[in-house]
Amino acid sequence: MAGYGSTKRIDFALLTTVLLLIVFGLVALYSATYITESPASQLKFTKQLLWVVLGFFVLLTSAMVPLKTFHKYAYLIYAISVLLLAIVLIVGTGPGSRRWIALGPLSLQPAELAKVATLLALAKYLSHDSRNFDNLKDILVPFAVISLPLLLIMNQPDLGSALVFLALSLPVLHWAGLPGVVLFVLLAPVLSFFSAFSYYSFLIAMILIVSVLFLMRRGTFFFLVNFALNVGVGVLTPILWHLLKDYQKNRILTFLGMVTDPHGLGYQVIQSKVAIGSGGLLGKGFLAGTQTHLRFLPEQHTDFIFCVVGEEFGFLGGMLILALFLYLIFKSLNLAAVVKSRFASILVFGVTVIFLFQVFVNIGMTMGIMPVTGLPLPFLSYGGSALIANLMLVGFLLNASRTRFEYT
Amino acid sequence: MMNPDLDTLKRFYLAVAVFAFLVLVVRLGQLQLYNWDKYFRESEQNRIREIILDADRGQMYDRNGGILVDNWPSYSVSVIPYEFLKSDTAVTMLSSLVDESPEHLVKRIKKEKISNFNPVRIKRQIGFKTLSALEENRLDLRGVFYNIESKRYYPGGVRAPHVFGYLDEITAPELTTRKEQGYRPGDNTGRTGLELVYESYLRGTAAVKYVEVDVLGREVRDLNELSNSEPLPGKNLYLTLDASLQRFLESRMQGKKGAAIALDPRNGDVLAFVSGPDYAPELFSDALSPETWNSLINDEGHPLYNRASQSLFPPGSTFKLILAAAGLETGLIDTTEQVHCTGGYQFGRRRFKCWKAGGHGTVNLRNAIQQSCNVFFYKKSLDVGLDNWSKYAGFFGFGKETGIDLPDENPGLLPDKAYLDARYGENNWTRGLLLNLAVGQGDLLVTPLQMAKLAMILGNEGRWFRPRLVSKIVDPLTNETVELTSPPFQVAQVSQRTFKILKEGMYLVVNGPHGTAHAARLAGVDVCGKTGTAQNPHGQSHAWFIGFAPREHPVIAFCIMIENGGGGGAVAAPIAGGMLKAFFASNTTRVVKR
Repeated sequence: MAGYGSTKRIDFALLTTVLLLIVFGLVALYSATYITESPASQLKFTKQLLWVVLGFFVLLTSAMVPLKTFHKYAYLIYAISVLLLAIVLIVGTGPGSRRWIALGPLSLQPAELAKVATLLALAKYLSHDSRNFDNLKDILVPFAVISLPLLLIMNQPDLGSALVFLALSLPVLHWAGLPGVVLFVLLAPVLSFFSAFSYYSFLIAMILIVSVLFLMRRGTFFFLVNFALNVGVGVLTPILWHLLKDYQKNRILTFLGMVTDPHGLGYQVIQSKVAIGSGGLLGKGFLAGTQTHLRFLPEQHTDFIFCVVGEEFGFLGGMLILALFLYLIFKSLNLAAVVKSRFASILVFGVTVIFLFQVFVNIGMTMGIMPVTGLPLPFLSYGGSALIANLMLVGFLLNASRTRFEYT
Repeated sequence: MMNPDLDTLKRFYLAVAVFAFLVLVVRLGQLQLYNWDKYFRESEQNRIREIILDADRGQMYDRNGGILVDNWPSYSVSVIPYEFLKSDTAVTMLSSLVDESPEHLVKRIKKEKISNFNPVRIKRQIGFKTLSALEENRLDLRGVFYNIESKRYYPGGVRAPHVFGYLDEITAPELTTRKEQGYRPGDNTGRTGLELVYESYLRGTAAVKYVEVDVLGREVRDLNELSNSEPLPGKNLYLTLDASLQRFLESRMQGKKGAAIALDPRNGDVLAFVSGPDYAPELFSDALSPETWNSLINDEGHPLYNRASQSLFPPGSTFKLILAAAGLETGLIDTTEQVHCTGGYQFGRRRFKCWKAGGHGTVNLRNAIQQSCNVFFYKKSLDVGLDNWSKYAGFFGFGKETGIDLPDENPGLLPDKAYLDARYGENNWTRGLLLNLAVGQGDLLVTPLQMAKLAMILGNEGRWFRPRLVSKIVDPLTNETVELTSPPFQVAQVSQRTFKILKEGMYLVVNGPHGTAHAARLAGVDVCGKTGTAQNPHGQSHAWFIGFAPREHPVIAFCIMIENGGGGGAVAAPIAGGMLKAFFASNTTRVVKR
């Protein structure tokens, strides 16, 4: 069997998928930035190329260093990333928020590192042999591990990154053995809360919750307590809501991406839809997108990069991107199920969830079916920190795949 | 296998993932396949146009709040290359409207465009006729639109082009170096004068507006609520100029070469600042034609030169005051000492002439200043010596800039031993040079502004301020005001006694029986001054008159210099007299009775 550092067991199909996505991203970035007045914008392509090169070395590192080592230092890495998040709140920079730490010409986004670090810590904690989800502590600690960086990131504020942490929590616990029932009990009140803003949606949510509770057949007491809890949340939400001052409501709605106009986000989505829609089956051709080059989308090279793909390469281009992502998720999900080491399994599953969530929310956002939250598209969006973090995650996938027959 | 359920879980999450991707695929198909024609039409027809809203440039006011420099709307025509170049009708029509061949127009647009969708400015300041033609033919002029811009106009009746300066379109190399400050192609920037010095305050911040336009370029929807901001107007400058005094001196200087400067000695405020000949500042408001530019450049009077602070002249007899100060301070000139003037002074083999051929007879220092006797100062210069003379001239600020808030001030030339050694060779020059310097001739060169500063120092008995043209900068939106104050300086090396003696001499110049500047007398005000008639090899003498009024606690200090004008007392002093009369008449509260 090949030892560490060998490339024999590298999953080249997976690696090629990721490289194709990166190349697609560079092509779209080139198109998005090539006709602009500012040299700074044109520099972005070159900068991103450098990040790709740097990211490849990071990927090699996380693919070749034994997973045991990551397991060993998981908590330390986590502590460092939390510290960085705290530092960024004090010395951070960014437009209207504190997201970046400036390091000379580079700026780092600690939230991206925190994503990786939290997943490592979570995987380490949950993979311990003594974990038992009948024990409340074993449920609460993972939540604490997630909440700490989550709260710090929300303070930046960076809703998009914060949502990734939330999205990560329940599926990973589920994968680690948390019963579906508990998952439901935890998720249902969230559904009740969001549905409570309209009678109809609340009614539908209640019917759904009641039927699932009924099908669970866990006894009258369980049924009544959960029913009461969800109704309670639903009734209290509007009451509490009315007690809030207007500016507080606005702040919450803006945070949830429900009030979009203060930042012109609603407008962005309209234009983004026009850009993608006008691409048609084959697209308008490389560098020929009219919408993209009007520069009405200030974020087109970052969060809205999918517009460029949609407009210039059409439905076929968009489908190709989606197919590549689906293949990546399919491969990593399979890997999570077959890998022998429990730590690796949870880690790989977490990577799967992170990618799936980001792809769905980002592409959904550009097509107007998801709120605008400021979440980049993995491998395609401009941005060094995200690319490095994502390539590190891919490194974990390659690492786990390479050593999938090893138990530790 | 550590968990037999993992396979079930995998299937569940695979289903979730497939479902999520299915949603995305369906949506993608809905947008790009099902609704493609709708979105494609929208992308072709309704375009978002980025419009730059230029900020109003800051205005300039005089010291009494009267407006001097304001903005006036003007129109410019631009095209969006993507739409414009598709239509031959539009190209033909516009080319005839802007008087440019279609081929040239197209070539220029292709050269200047940033992208197919960014507007290219075709012509600035189009006339009203062109504007109406554009409006009438809107249907044919696809991709053509006009912008309102502003140009400078000068409603105060004050010309002062050397003070205000002018604007010009930013050049390509400047654009690259000043990109950080947000300059865009076609922006104006200050080139000279206050427009240049206070560029960063006057400029303001442009805003970007997005409008949705249809195929004909008509605004369908204002998307302004989605863009960032309104333009922030530039800050207004409050000048120290007194508009009526400035106008008066401008009229007096008309047709003359030279400079006239009036300062408020109490704070360094520049009350008037005239350089002649000048030009109408409006010349630069409109796009300057090459003919106009060439005529300005080739004019023999060099109207673009700012003679007041950038040109150098020999100061003539006005500079005798410096020798007097140096002599009194070093004890080498005594007020009682008498010199006999016979109309000339024999030094070596050369006879240095006094301006009065018959001689002044026996004169002391006061009389020598009053009558501007050369012989007295020739003789005393040998006692005082070059080193003392140049040292004291330095104390009065010669050989260095006054620090006025105008660009490219000339420091002048104050010779000392090192300079003369370098110029003529060590021991290769005689003290005869010193005799010339003593009466403000020879290698010595000054700006009229430096002489006005000298008048301020003398009037204030040593105290002086950096001359300033702007007293405060006001934000027109918030009224936030920045007061520009500068601290007083003192020529501490010269005593009050010396200043009193110099002032007495200067009083006699205007009011004494043998004074050289009776033309500057003013009833009710003790005017003090000193004339100068500086010979120069290029033509007639330069006429100088510097002074201040009243004698005690002066409220105005000035320098009048007429290039090749003739005698200081005959040519420059009357202008000062007229100015002081007008000044004290309109500022009755400032009159100090004898």
